[in-house]
Amino acid sequence: MDATFLMNNLWIIVCTVLVLLMQGGFILLEAGSTRMKNAGHIAGKTVFTVGIVSLVFWAVGYGIIYGEGNAIIGFSDFFYGDASTMGEGLAGSVDFMFQLAFAAIAMTIAFGGFAERAKLIAYVIFAVLFSIVIYPVIAHWIWGAGWLADHGKQDFAGSTVVHLTGAMAALAATMILKPRIGKYNKDGSSNEIAGHNQVFTALGVLLLWVGWFGFNAGSTFGVENAFFGYVALNTQLAAGAGAIGAMLMVWAVTGKADVPTTLNGALAGLVAITASCAFVEPWAAVLIGLIGGAFVFFSMKFFDKKKIDDPIFALSVHGTVGVWGTLSNGLFATPELATVGRPGLFYGGGFEQLGVQLMGVVACGLYAFIVSWIILKVMEKAMGSLRVTEEEEIMGLDISEHGGYGYPENFTSTTKSGA
Amino acid sequence: MFQTYEEIKRWRHDTMPSVADDHFQLNAFHDQVMYQTVGIAKTKVESEQGTTPAPFAFFLMGSAGRFEQSVWSDQDHGIVFDGVDQKYFLKLGEEISHGLAIVGYELCEGKVMASNSLWCQSVDSFKEQIVGWLEEASWQSLRNFSILFDSRVLNGDEELLLQLKREAFSVLEKEPHLYARLMENFEFIKKGVGVFGQLLPEQRQGMKGEIHLKETAYFPYVNAIRILALRNGVSAAPTLERLVSLADTHPFVNEYEQDFRKLLDFRLRFRKEATNYEKVHLLPIAQLSKQDKQALKYLIKRGNQLFSKAKSVLKEEGAL
Repeated sequence: MDATFLMNNLWIIVCTVLVLLMQGGFILLEAGSTRMKNAGHIAGKTVFTVGIVSLVFWAVGYGIIYGEGNAIIGFSDFFYGDASTMGEGLAGSVDFMFQLAFAAIAMTIAFGGFAERAKLIAYVIFAVLFSIVIYPVIAHWIWGAGWLADHGKQDFAGSTVVHLTGAMAALAATMILKPRIGKYNKDGSSNEIAGHNQVFTALGVLLLWVGWFGFNAGSTFGVENAFFGYVALNTQLAAGAGAIGAMLMVWAVTGKADVPTTLNGALAGLVAITASCAFVEPWAAVLIGLIGGAFVFFSMKFFDKKKIDDPIFALSVHGTVGVWGTLSNGLFATPELATVGRPGLFYGGGFEQLGVQLMGVVACGLYAFIVSWIILKVMEKAMGSLRVTEEEEIMGLDISEHGGYGYPENFTSTTKSGA
Repeated sequence: MFQTYEEIKRWRHDTMPSVADDHFQLNAFHDQVMYQTVGIAKTKVESEQGTTPAPFAFFLMGSAGRFEQSVWSDQDHGIVFDGVDQKYFLKLGEEISHGLAIVGYELCEGKVMASNSLWCQSVDSFKEQIVGWLEEASWQSLRNFSILFDSRVLNGDEELLLQLKREAFSVLEKEPHLYARLMENFEFIKKGVGVFGQLLPEQRQGMKGEIHLKETAYFPYVNAIRILALRNGVSAAPTLERLVSLADTHPFVNEYEQDFRKLLDFRLRFRKEATNYEKVHLLPIAQLSKQDKQALKYLIKRGNQLFSKAKSVLKEEGAL
């Protein structure tokens, strides 16, 4: 068998594992950014929703993205299991696994908007519906044979497909669920509900950072010319610049180098470079990351001011910066590297690619937001409420939804009920 | 009669077995024990601080307020007084808490006791407090409000407490949106029966295999009837009395009265040997016969049903 074929497949399955490992990063990031009473829940729900996404992606998701169909959706290859299928120089199963890991990341991002207040059953139902009617449709538009692919939209590893889609679902969720108890005061001012463990959050970010090499460099789909190295280089530079950008910005504005903001900056750099990692030069990667990091700080402030309670900053990190990352292609894509679409504004490509990028962001963002909103509203109507009761929220979702604590020694009894 | 708290403690200990089988006898006895304790406390404070400076009412809250205590119970009580001498009544509250603890009622972890200035106030400041709680409408403020609403005077001027309840009704009449917030406060019902129709015991260490009767079975009845009582201006605290008062305006509640009585008896039958307050709510499932399990499941189901009906009633009336 052809050695390159084997190398390609080996590389992509390694990247699949790296992307799957990003879920570990999310577990630590989310658990660290929330309160102790919800830690077990946050960690556990991540694992079981990955389970749900896996089955749904196998049953229908992959078929909707890559099946034969039209510019809107695909509809073949359901219940995927053809061992002999080859495509893009990869065994079909390897390609399937890689795509599945991406779908699971989008889902976990979306659930950021559910944190610390949604009922467990809401996670289950939304995981199924998101994995059928939201993520695969957008992925088909850009990565399948969809209408945005026809326009030459550049989204190398998924700033729009994965991050913006997940974030827009999170936005719909966080608006419908409303802020957590105690987040806002009657006079409109907000309170900080600090996460319980910054070390977890930092480890989570580092794990995500490492996993991101699977996400971005793996999106080369092969080892040819070792181009994955170039993509990895850009990824590393943007992540580093993102952390620095955010830290400098928060320091300049508040006088303190806030740790969660700095950590979000690293993630912002990673999200920003995700669309452009294969299309831009390293200096541009630094700039894209730096700006992403600075943006994330202002975006966090903006959502807080608008009373949109985003406990783990999914909207800012993946949404705002996802938009910036996608648009940055339209500015920095070089003629040599723009294998899809056209070069960016700063390389003589004019506004054409920027326009395509903008159209993609608006179309995908709106679709993800509107469909998520409708699904969640219907679910709310059917279930009475997506949110746990106030008493459950106060006692914490560990005990209310799972019957045991993530930190049992710290909790000996439930809240005084007064009767 | 009794001269010391220890004497009352012994009396409680000796008499309890003979009344523990009957809900009414048991609660009447609790009232007697607490009344005697308050009597000693009052005499003691009067001897140290002088006679009570103004009319007052010592009232019970929680399960005692509702006349629904089991064999063991913690303390939930307050004092409302005329005038301004809070210091005196706080001293009295402290002495009562101390006495009740000796007699056999654990101190309240949440400090819902007349020794706490939050629960020992003049009529006017209590009224302001009620308006404040309802205005704030946070989870804790509404929880405090509903604790106060389940109250009954044990010793003193009943009119003082009634004034507070009338104030609450008048605020609620002016601000009907508060019913929705109150409903949210009561909405949590711990699941007692699983999808396979099985009883759902606690999984936590130290409670494994035991079902939490109070949270799974008892609260839905109490909370449903409380919100209806608030809506209909019923000031009595005992759930059974509220049921009777509500029967005219909401005849459907009649069919749940027997269920609630059965639940109270059920709790006593199995828990009368409980050795402390914590255990009084926890029932080991292994102790139950097949018929007992069926009966308990039925009572849990009926409580949930009552709660849903109460919610529907408020919805139909446009209060939710």
